[in-house]
Amino acid sequence: MEPPSPDCNGAEAVLNLKPSSSIPITYHPLFGPHDDLILLELDQKLLPDVLHQRVTIRGQPDEDAVLCTESKTYAIKSVGTSNSVFLIPPSSQFNYFESPICCDENYHDPQSVASVIKIATGNMELVEVAPRLDKLRSLLFENPYRFEEDVEMVDLEEMEGKNTGLYSWDDLIEKVQASDDELRTGLQAFSAVEIYGYWRIVDEKYMDRILRMLLHNSVLNDWSLSCLNEDDVVNALESDGFPHKLANHCLHVYGSKVIEGVSTSSIWKLDERKVCVHFARDILRDGNRKMERFMEDWARKVPEGMPASLDMLEGEVLIEKLGAETWIRAFSVSSLPYNPAERFSVLFKERPKWEWKDLHPYISDLRVPGLSAEGLLLKYTRRTQPTADAEPVFSIR
Amino acid sequence: MQIRVKCSCGESNCPEWAVVELQGMVEVQSQFQDRLHNLHIGLLCRPSASSQDQTYTFTVGYHELTGTKQPLKKPLLVLRKLKPSRDAGVELEVIGIIRHRILFNTRPMALISKPQPAVKKNKGSEQIAAQFNSVP
Repeated sequence: MEPPSPDCNGAEAVLNLKPSSSIPITYHPLFGPHDDLILLELDQKLLPDVLHQRVTIRGQPDEDAVLCTESKTYAIKSVGTSNSVFLIPPSSQFNYFESPICCDENYHDPQSVASVIKIATGNMELVEVAPRLDKLRSLLFENPYRFEEDVEMVDLEEMEGKNTGLYSWDDLIEKVQASDDELRTGLQAFSAVEIYGYWRIVDEKYMDRILRMLLHNSVLNDWSLSCLNEDDVVNALESDGFPHKLANHCLHVYGSKVIEGVSTSSIWKLDERKVCVHFARDILRDGNRKMERFMEDWARKVPEGMPASLDMLEGEVLIEKLGAETWIRAFSVSSLPYNPAERFSVLFKERPKWEWKDLHPYISDLRVPGLSAEGLLLKYTRRTQPTADAEPVFSIR
Repeated sequence: MQIRVKCSCGESNCPEWAVVELQGMVEVQSQFQDRLHNLHIGLLCRPSASSQDQTYTFTVGYHELTGTKQPLKKPLLVLRKLKPSRDAGVELEVIGIIRHRILFNTRPMALISKPQPAVKKNKGSEQIAAQFNSVP
């Protein structure tokens, strides 16, 4: 039996232990509970992110911490073990003044030992989760950007004083448990815009004002809604008194860019569905309507040439038959929680039974890592099908 | 709040830690309870002469465990919690990585009366095992 080479110590000595050799394992001179040492199990593919310092841990003291890479969010779970896990650091770490000497003075080679710094009682592991966007929504809704704010022309300094409910990007990443990419996507999904350094959603009534003005200008100037010149639109809205940023935001919310302008102005096309949905929501804001009345009002409100049709309102309205009458009311998927348990709870409070074609638009945006759409339905609903060829009906589980 | 996970070692030279894992506990005799530091736990042996053979033994007192070295399916990072100053928030630093463990998941074999380690003529191991178990 060869003794290990004298310069080989600590973890290296254990990892590189040669065949037919041995090494004493001892308690480290600094052995202790070392609560500041944490083991984190992670997938091989996440290693580069961690080692290149691209991950952060996010959460408030009262929330369960999550680990965020640039694009994904992971819950951090603590896993215990009943085994004794002896942790042996490399000789370069936890250097003690005197080199660890085995207590047995008869031992001929006191240099070659591997010492245990801590006995781990478990480790942390990561489970991919959906970003916590419900929190983002509630933060954004604390203080939506309203028309009055523009009229008052609050100067920046004054705003600093009363910036309650205003969040910059840095504030949001401190508060919302989502990766940078997911947060950006979330802000886009909520149609948020950065104004004076704060991410805001714009009050619907204010958006309505801007959109009507844009449509009004299009009629006046004989612009085509599928070929809007960005500079012309924004300049016109600015001269009507709307801030540049919001004029631009209006194009982003209700349109899509058709041609990216390089030296010339970009060209935008208004999205028929988005514009029509906007006016439908506007009509239904004050409560439900009889179908016939709604259709009349809606057709009158949408810009000329835009065919308002009911299938545009998937995930926006619920239609119910009461006796001989058909009623329509607003029920927008964008107002529902992202947490699947809460989502289904709200849905079944709204209606105890859902047909698939009605339910689908209200759950198709749910993303739960590791759970398919079928998995979601199995977990949160009960499926009944009176006969083999009948439409399945989903009720609360 | 946000805690940045720092790493000064980079991808290629993150120091590798070693793990010896066994089922149950190693009990320290009561007279050693308060002076664990530097105390000998056992002797880790790689008895086979073959470099392919990943069998290890771990002799603790009069008990011998047999186990194997196995790569971890998912590596473990060793993180250290730091609090640079009273005002600063907590930081986490990657100080090491664990890619293998030597796992002893068999029942211990008693080395009755005369310890006979798997590797013969290991004077050191005999003496130390005795030291650990007997009251001086």
